[in-house]
Amino acid sequence: MVNLLYTELLKLKRAKMFMVSVTGAMAAPIMMFIAFLSMKREKPETILTFDVSFYNTNLNVLMLIGTLLYGVIAAYLFSREYTEDTLKNLLTIPVSKTSLIVSKWLLLLIWIFALTIVAWVMTLLLGLVGQFEGLSVAVIVDSLGQFFVGAFLLFLLSTPIIWITMLFKNFVPTIIFTAVVTMANLTVIDTDYQGLFPWSAVHMVVTNSAEFVYPISYSYAIIFATSVFGLAATIIYFRRSDID
Amino acid sequence: MTAVIQTTNLTKQYGTQKAVDSLQLNVKQGQIYGFLGRNGAGKTTTIRMLLGLVKPTEGQIEIFGENLFKHQKEILRRIGSMVEHSGFYENLTGKENLLINAKLMGVHKKTAIEEALEIVGLEQETKKLVGKYSMGMKQRLGIARAILHHPELLILDEPTNGLDPVGIKEVRRLIKSLAVERKLTVLISSHILSEVEQLADQIGIIHQGRLLEEVSFEELRTRNRNYMELQVSNDNKAAMLLEQHFEGVEYEAHGEGFLRIYSHMGQQGKLNKLLVEHDIEVTRIAISEDRLEDYFIKLIGGGTIG
Ligand SMILES: Nc1ncnc2c1ncn2[C@@H]1O[C@H](COP(=O)(O)OP(=O)(O)OP(=O)(O)O)[C@@H](O)[C@H]1O
Ligand SMILES: [Mg+2]
Repeated sequence: MVNLLYTELLKLKRAKMFMVSVTGAMAAPIMMFIAFLSMKREKPETILTFDVSFYNTNLNVLMLIGTLLYGVIAAYLFSREYTEDTLKNLLTIPVSKTSLIVSKWLLLLIWIFALTIVAWVMTLLLGLVGQFEGLSVAVIVDSLGQFFVGAFLLFLLSTPIIWITMLFKNFVPTIIFTAVVTMANLTVIDTDYQGLFPWSAVHMVVTNSAEFVYPISYSYAIIFATSVFGLAATIIYFRRSDID
Repeated sequence: MTAVIQTTNLTKQYGTQKAVDSLQLNVKQGQIYGFLGRNGAGKTTTIRMLLGLVKPTEGQIEIFGENLFKHQKEILRRIGSMVEHSGFYENLTGKENLLINAKLMGVHKKTAIEEALEIVGLEQETKKLVGKYSMGMKQRLGIARAILHHPELLILDEPTNGLDPVGIKEVRRLIKSLAVERKLTVLISSHILSEVEQLADQIGIIHQGRLLEEVSFEELRTRNRNYMELQVSNDNKAAMLLEQHFEGVEYEAHGEGFLRIYSHMGQQGKLNKLLVEHDIEVTRIAISEDRLEDYFIKLIGGGTIG
């Protein structure tokens, strides 16, 4: 497994995808920052706090950018063995199909966490630049917790996306799927159903703030069930399918 | 000789089409086995099944005397393969690509990668990314990958595909020398008879998923030797004269004055003179064309090949 993970990292050498994704991860904090600045110009008396800044950036990541960006990364990681026709090389070495999936999935986790750090640090830096108020240890700990738990849950929800990628052996259907998920997020946000749709439920679980119409355990159950279903479908499908 | 690859009733069905149909393949230790067939005959599908990439609809595969499906991991470790075009990570160099494979194969010897690159003549291309490789370079890298872990059995699917004539010759020589030096068994597929003719000891001809023939080249050559065909007024007397004057002559009488002579090629002048001197009228004397290629075409249907 260590070797597999190492080779997965090596495959990213010179790949533009990593830098592209870092740029993507910086988009949320920057957009939030710009929104704050324009708000401040309209109403100079507004007080900008780190607390709100972290909250909004994370909301943006979990509901919009993250779903899309992490979906694209998952599609990239899993479709490339098909598009570059390297899968048959790996499987005849032989590398077990399940280990291959697990190693790629772990790499995805590392990647998502790296991007989460990028987004969090960026939010912090922009807050310092904009002289936001209320930076405290509690705010730092809370926001880090929310960023990482959210990222981890979104990572868990990558399995159906991976399954779709394997099924079509191609980028495009996955991108369409993640776009649909993102739109669904926007549709259910602030409705009673937000806690029931797995991707939008992530934000509710993480912030633990909104008044729940349904118990929060429902949201957890839905997220985990979706993840387990996706993982099982991926592994069963991959193990059964012919490689051509 | 022990069998290295043995399939029983191997079948792969796609919809209603049997891409591979009840194949009984026998590759013996130390052989270079030419797996011959036209486009779409079922070569790649067979090879994918041998490598566990595609599950057969029916049938069994034994490699190194063991059931492939029960011991797939152990068996695959002893095989080096290249299926259709070799795929590589285009953002990496050839060496980096081999490093990935070596790591996963458990090849720890530092020099193994350089050695493999040197054998295929890619040792100079240290900086070039595979994305910038020519087709021929990719094929060579594919061969380097296949031999990286010193396998006992090489399975190569049309390894000379897309190579220029010089490249084809080089790869052919490379395979031959590897087979001899490392005592490898090699299964190599092709759709050109002449390509494997200079390489293989044994050929299997597959057509529409079925194995039409599995035969050694030696036997094939004997069976399809060139001959002189004679038409004479008296074939009995001619045969007698042949035996008297041409030592060790091999011939067949085909009735109605037709004789086929398999030996003494190139002596038709002398032959003609002999018969005429003995009052035998020679109405026809002809040399057969290259029969091996004819035979192949006849077997798998005429028209264009490949
Ligand atoms: N995944 C698949 N689904 C449906 N049909 C397939 C599939 N793979 C192969 N076939 C069919 O099986 C037949 C044999 O194909 P195969 O690729 O094995 O031929 P081949 O001998 O390797 O040909 P070539 O010389 O062109 O490489 C073809 O008719 C092909 O269309
Ligand atoms: Mg083929």
